[in-house]
Amino acid sequence: MSVLRGFLWLLVFLLLGQAVVALFRLPMPSGVIGMLLLTLFFGYRGGMNPDVVHISQPLIAMLALLIMPGVVEIFFVAGQFADQWVAILTALIAGTLLSVLSSLLLMRRYLPASDAPGLAAGNAGHE
Amino acid sequence: MNDWLERLSQLPQQWFDSPIAAIALTLGAYFFGIRLFKLMHRPTWCPPMLIAAILIAVTIALLPIGIDDYNRGAGWLMLLLGPATVALAVPLYQQLPQIRALWKPILLTLPLSATLAACYAVIIAAAMGAPKEVLASLAPKSVTSPIALGLAEELGGSRALLMGALLTTGVTAIFGVEWLSRVLHIRDPRLIGLALGINGHALGTVRAFEISSAAGAFASLGMSLTGAFTAVVLPLVWHLFY
Repeated sequence: MSVLRGFLWLLVFLLLGQAVVALFRLPMPSGVIGMLLLTLFFGYRGGMNPDVVHISQPLIAMLALLIMPGVVEIFFVAGQFADQWVAILTALIAGTLLSVLSSLLLMRRYLPASDAPGLAAGNAGHE
Repeated sequence: MNDWLERLSQLPQQWFDSPIAAIALTLGAYFFGIRLFKLMHRPTWCPPMLIAAILIAVTIALLPIGIDDYNRGAGWLMLLLGPATVALAVPLYQQLPQIRALWKPILLTLPLSATLAACYAVIIAAAMGAPKEVLASLAPKSVTSPIALGLAEELGGSRALLMGALLTTGVTAIFGVEWLSRVLHIRDPRLIGLALGINGHALGTVRAFEISSAAGAFASLGMSLTGAFTAVVLPLVWHLFY
């Protein structure tokens, strides 16, 4: 039941997000606004609702699964872009590697070094 | 006997009349993809999503059903994208103290990173002669899918090409962040998480959660801020040029 109650919370904040998007004509999806509203609400309450915590973990793990159905279609329309493949793949792969490199360099330059040793240790332990 | 065969041959079409078959196929392919991914010793260039997507495509091609039949059913599954996005509030809230301490450098670097993520790809593709429709599908490639779909629609891109671009970008970003952070000796999970979220949207964020919950929270932050920033700025910039 806890999971369902948490799901209802998420749906309510999704609807609230949709309301804000519609009222202020924001060019953003309701999910993102709902997420920000829920974060603000947690901040206002000074803690998280345990029901929402329960449902959020499996749902976040599902995010990758949820974009998969959209990907399938590309195999069926591939012919349409037949003469563009080289340009598309080069742009995506080289462009992404370049942007990863620049964001890593930018943030290493401007983000102060972590003074919490636990954080760094958590990462080192994984590798 | 013929009657039976007749009924059997109509079964796929009947199955896909309701969304159940498409959802079962998607979940089945997902778990099969994960299993095969582990058997292949977790290659970074071929994530479980790609294996699963190919498997679904092959199944649809073999059965007497079309991609539209599948999409109609899978749309029900994608409804969960909304609540799943809202659920990111949990890791975001957990890391709020960390984020609050760093809001200045994040606010300085993130818009630039998000802009570069879109610009590199569009400039390379434009230089190689890609038409406007392709550019419009590539521009939102680093943005999480619910935002990216809306953006591609507004700019006049192709939905299918964008989803393919999202997958390619996610895979490349995960590979790139892990490879380049090793080269650059970056071990800070906050930085790795942000880079994964800014460049690799939901796929990068899921990967960041596997590294640590701090990396995951910073990735969700990077992903949502990149999404919000790009959603506002990209249409404005785009309409300046086209």
